[in-house]
Amino acid sequence: MALSEKTRLINVLEGKPVDRVPVICPGGMMNMAVLEVMMATGYAWPKAHLYPKDMAMLSLGVRDLAEIENVGVPFCMTVEAEAMGAQIDIGTETTEPRVASYPIQQIEEWEKLPSLTENHYRVSVVLEAISILKERCPETPVIGNITGPISLATSLIEPMVFFRALRRKPKVALDFLDFVTENLIVFARAMLKAGADIINIADPSGTGEILGPETFSEAVVPYLNKITEAIHASSGYAMVHICGRLSPVLPELKKLKAPVLSIDAVTALRKVKENLPEKVIMGNVSTYLLGKADPQKVAKAAKMSIKQGAGILAPACGISPLTPLENIRAMARVVKGDYGDC
Amino acid sequence: METAKLLKTIADSVLNMDEEAAAKYVKQALEAGIDPMVIINEGLIAGMNQAGKLFEENEYFVPELLLCSDAMYAGLNVVTPHIKREENLYYGSVVIGVVEGDTHDIGKNLVKVMLEASGFRVYDLGRNVPAKTFVEKVKETRADLLCLSTLMTTTMGEMKKVIDLLEEEKIRGNVKVLVGGGPVSSSFARSIGADGYGENAAGAVRVAKEVLGIPQTRAS
Repeated sequence: MALSEKTRLINVLEGKPVDRVPVICPGGMMNMAVLEVMMATGYAWPKAHLYPKDMAMLSLGVRDLAEIENVGVPFCMTVEAEAMGAQIDIGTETTEPRVASYPIQQIEEWEKLPSLTENHYRVSVVLEAISILKERCPETPVIGNITGPISLATSLIEPMVFFRALRRKPKVALDFLDFVTENLIVFARAMLKAGADIINIADPSGTGEILGPETFSEAVVPYLNKITEAIHASSGYAMVHICGRLSPVLPELKKLKAPVLSIDAVTALRKVKENLPEKVIMGNVSTYLLGKADPQKVAKAAKMSIKQGAGILAPACGISPLTPLENIRAMARVVKGDYGDC
Repeated sequence: METAKLLKTIADSVLNMDEEAAAKYVKQALEAGIDPMVIINEGLIAGMNQAGKLFEENEYFVPELLLCSDAMYAGLNVVTPHIKREENLYYGSVVIGVVEGDTHDIGKNLVKVMLEASGFRVYDLGRNVPAKTFVEKVKETRADLLCLSTLMTTTMGEMKKVIDLLEEEKIRGNVKVLVGGGPVSSSFARSIGADGYGENAAGAVRVAKEVLGIPQTRAS
């Protein structure tokens, strides 16, 4: 008997046998909301960032129309930042919400920032959407997405100021990261309580490529691990997405406690898998191909990812809202054997 | 200290991210009667070029490069009041920004730092910049080069919009266009009619010089 979507994905996370590779688009920075689905379902950005039912239904719509095997919210990386004082531009039907202004200018000011609470309207929208999804599709894994610590920190203060502080005032910068991490843990726990099965952490600004191995191991790994431990302690599963070239930080990635590492298309999946045999590697179908190529080419790339050792098939990063639905579907159908054996 | 040694000490101060030392030795060099342009080119910029080289070799990363540029600027602040005709400083002028819909500007800021360090006058429009604003600034400054950046797949289309608008306004021939950023590639650059693609900050400077016909200096 075929496994349910949820059992299959959880089995992969637990290292148990599965009938085939699952295919997902986690959400958050790696969201899956495309214009075609918005048009088809009537649940569209920017409203879907602000109303729980719209958020949930848009995610469900993608699951059904694109044939991926999860649901996941939110669709952006601004929820935590707004709850902690940033001003947000909510975007349009095809542009993601983004930070419009930072609440602090100097690193020392971090103590003035408000803490994230479950009652903040953006936070509560996400939590409610998760509850709706949990109820609507109990056999589909529900993924709650949070912003990684460095990306959240650099949504609260100008990134250049933060990066300088990491070297010039490391104590203050790391204290700030601690505070940011505590807030992310509050959000992750609330998501799990609302019904999320898995928490995906994406930290596009906290890459080895930007920070270098030393800073990555001091300012990224410990904080991602703190969140991962908190998620595990609440009986959830953690996934971590790292953007960019991974070669400078392959040894550091071994120290990550999350069982799943999601990677970008610029790094060869086979090389990452060889270096981290104990981790489930998720990825890494080029978002450029998904956006611009035809279904045949997308399917070929998806088969290549699986051949190289992907334990979970997924886009390499966040996809464009203009990505053709048939391309996501082609990726999704590869795991079901529609494009021949992998 | 003799001239060559003093210039090397200035370059090393930049490379070692030491703002105070950079300012101090630039002042000493001025007092010793060294030509301000020599101080800039063979001291400060030489140091920044070495930092750029280490960045390309994965020895330095973004935080280090930022601190090197801080040290370079600390030195520039001391020396620039001693330059008579500022115009002679520049190879050409550049308009740079992150296209509309994207607020990721780490890469853009690095390219800006490296362009300035290499002797370009840079007009930075920041991030989330509408196509129209780019075109207006190019007209206003008669820029030689326009650099467009984006980190997101979702906003790559904006780059073509800017180039199309340059065509529409009939000024495409007056300015070279470079594109860069995470999802951008040289084949994408070609496909939208850009003149070049910068893979990283140091690479962008190389390509900028290439498309403008400026000889490459050695990063010694």
